Amino acid sequence: MHSNKLGWLLLAPTLLVLFFFGVLPFIYVVYVSFHQWNPFAVNPDMVFNWAENYRRVVFDTQFLASLGVTAAFVFFAVISELILGYLLAQAFMKDFPGKAIFRTIHTLPLIMAPIIVGSIWKLMTTPSIGIIPNLLDSWFGYDLNIGQSAIAAFITTVVMDIWHWTPLVTLTLIAALVSLPPDPFEQAQIDGANKRQIFWHITLPMIRPAILATVFIRLMDALRTVDEVLMLTGGGPGSATRYVGVHIFKEVFPRTNYGYGSAISVIVLYLTIVVCWLLYVGLIAPRNKKG
Amino acid sequence: MSFAFRLGVSALALSIAAGSAFAQDDDFWAKAGEKFQGVTLRGVTEATPPSNYISDVLAPEFEEKTGIRVEIETTSWDQMYDKAIKDMEAGTGIYDMVYIEQDIVYAYLARNFLVDVTKSLADNPDLKAPGFDEAAFTTFADYFRGENGDLYGIPMEAFIKIYLYRTDLFNDPEVQAAFKEATGNELKPATTHEEYTQIAEFFTKWGEDHDMDLWGTTAQAHTGHPASWYEYVETVAPTFGVYGWGIDPDNNYAATVENGGTMNSDKAKAALKWWLHMRDIAPPESVQSTWTEVATTFAAGRAAQGLVYGENAAWIASDDSKSRVVGNVGVALPPLEDGVMAEAEAGDGYIGYYDGGAFGLPVTSKNQDAALLFLQYIGQESVQPGWAVAAPRITHTATYDDPGVQEMNDELGGYYDMLREDGKLFAGAPPYPFHAQLREAIAPIFYDILTGKIDPDSGLDQMAEKTEQELTDLGYRQ
Repeated sequence: MHSNKLGWLLLAPTLLVLFFFGVLPFIYVVYVSFHQWNPFAVNPDMVFNWAENYRRVVFDTQFLASLGVTAAFVFFAVISELILGYLLAQAFMKDFPGKAIFRTIHTLPLIMAPIIVGSIWKLMTTPSIGIIPNLLDSWFGYDLNIGQSAIAAFITTVVMDIWHWTPLVTLTLIAALVSLPPDPFEQAQIDGANKRQIFWHITLPMIRPAILATVFIRLMDALRTVDEVLMLTGGGPGSATRYVGVHIFKEVFPRTNYGYGSAISVIVLYLTIVVCWLLYVGLIAPRNKKG
Repeated sequence: MSFAFRLGVSALALSIAAGSAFAQDDDFWAKAGEKFQGVTLRGVTEATPPSNYISDVLAPEFEEKTGIRVEIETTSWDQMYDKAIKDMEAGTGIYDMVYIEQDIVYAYLARNFLVDVTKSLADNPDLKAPGFDEAAFTTFADYFRGENGDLYGIPMEAFIKIYLYRTDLFNDPEVQAAFKEATGNELKPATTHEEYTQIAEFFTKWGEDHDMDLWGTTAQAHTGHPASWYEYVETVAPTFGVYGWGIDPDNNYAATVENGGTMNSDKAKAALKWWLHMRDIAPPESVQSTWTEVATTFAAGRAAQGLVYGENAAWIASDDSKSRVVGNVGVALPPLEDGVMAEAEAGDGYIGYYDGGAFGLPVTSKNQDAALLFLQYIGQESVQPGWAVAAPRITHTATYDDPGVQEMNDELGGYYDMLREDGKLFAGAPPYPFHAQLREAIAPIFYDILTGKIDPDSGLDQMAEKTEQELTDLGYRQ
């Protein structure tokens, strides 16, 4: 009993911080989402409008379009980061000249603020001035113009996200690979298993928790991407890179559509939870059941 | 008594009087600052040349004279609004000064965000600086007056969006001859859209033929940033006779032609198509250009002519560490359709955008008295000439006659003369309190027009309909 009280006492500061900076704002956002509230309207006050904002969300073609491009963005970015991150992690498990320097350089993007990343990529991709369009033009005769081509802009945002976040995946997977016990691998080699079999039947299952944790983190991060895309493309050309985070930002801040923007935020949060739950059910739960 | 002797005596008397006035001023600032020791004023503004001058020159001067610390945060246009509005909306009082762009002042006044500067100084005469006089401002200050005629912001920048052209190209005999041969016309700054198009097409082709990084025009045509929308509604559409964004506030905020607006009128459609054509023959970076990049493009020598915000004219024309066209910049009025100049002269229209902004004092500020001192400091006539030379903006009538400003006027090809004499033909944004709200509602359609997803005619129809719907939702349209 005594230790129980002490436990709560020690937890209290964290719980208080969580309540005031996490739970309370969330409750407020839910509350606002049931109101019509634009401070620059003729009536700047909050007006309770039941679930009208949620009804509008369902029929909002701009929001639905932004959900579609976000899903594509998340899929391509997270899958690529996972594959590239794993390959890099495996490379870092081996010794090679300049490994320490390469690992430091490779980790640098991770410590950059997203707005800086967006600025760097904007400078590198500005049509006819940036280094990337110039190189692509001189090497392949390809005219990269992310201000005009929707596909080019989309791919560039995906590549930028990969550049920014792959080091996180690499570092997580290095930690997972380093902690693997050597016995199963030695046993498999004695039994004559080849590299592919070792990867599929030993490495992958053993690092699966780390992979899933990384996927969850990156999935949630990618779903709320705003700063770097806003800086690079502004959500354009047209609505090609108007991901949900950007869409919410534009609704809530410049347009000051607080009520409706809050409703979209709640819906996106709900969708994020559903996606994570589906991943959990599909990938972790069956394994636990078998075990 | 000889003339030279009288002149010398007069100069001496003037120097003594001026010296004494400055000493008086310094005494005032030192005394006024005494009760605010330890106070730090915080301001947020857009990172523009005039704002940078406040941050780099005026704020340190003020600190030295009063002992009041000043921190000016210069940031991007979007961030500036985001921070200022959130602060004033939430009442947190982080900022003691906020930049008020001319087009947002009506929204701020409608929300009672700002302190009445005139009234505050009348109520606190001990805070009134001897060198500050509201009457010294140009008429641009009227944009920042409330319905009671009081000033709610101290004008700190005012400039027109002008037509810049490369004098080295326009005066080159070889180019002139080639232009004459190609078009049958003399090469001179355009006064009509047709002439402008001819020049733009000529130089884009000239750049191609001579393997040069040269195009015929600039275009502020970002496909995901409101800068493109602004260039169309505030710079291009008025030159075709479409004013006030095509909305008629006296007619229930109608935007569609059907209801009496002009947003999707034939003139508006012609304006948009003309501008899209200019965008197509502008440098490739134009589709990612905001107002800043347009200035950079021109300064890099990549465009023969263009419509550029006047705040950038000084460094483009004179700063060889940033500009490749120093000494080769001419200024002119924007090209117009027939009848637009007559409407502007009659006060029924305007020929382009008169941009600018002021520093305002939020009602949520916790250091209002100290902030009032700073606002007066930057609003004094004595600090204006140096500021006008560093960043071409003029907010005081007397600044035009300053010798330093006159010298810069010559370097800028007569820009200040144009501002003084023709400034009346330009206009700021219409007095709508729903500025950003409407822009964000219709900008996505505009971006789709830019990418070719929607054709210009039906795009403008959609924009006009969406405008009326949005204004109905906001309660302005009944």
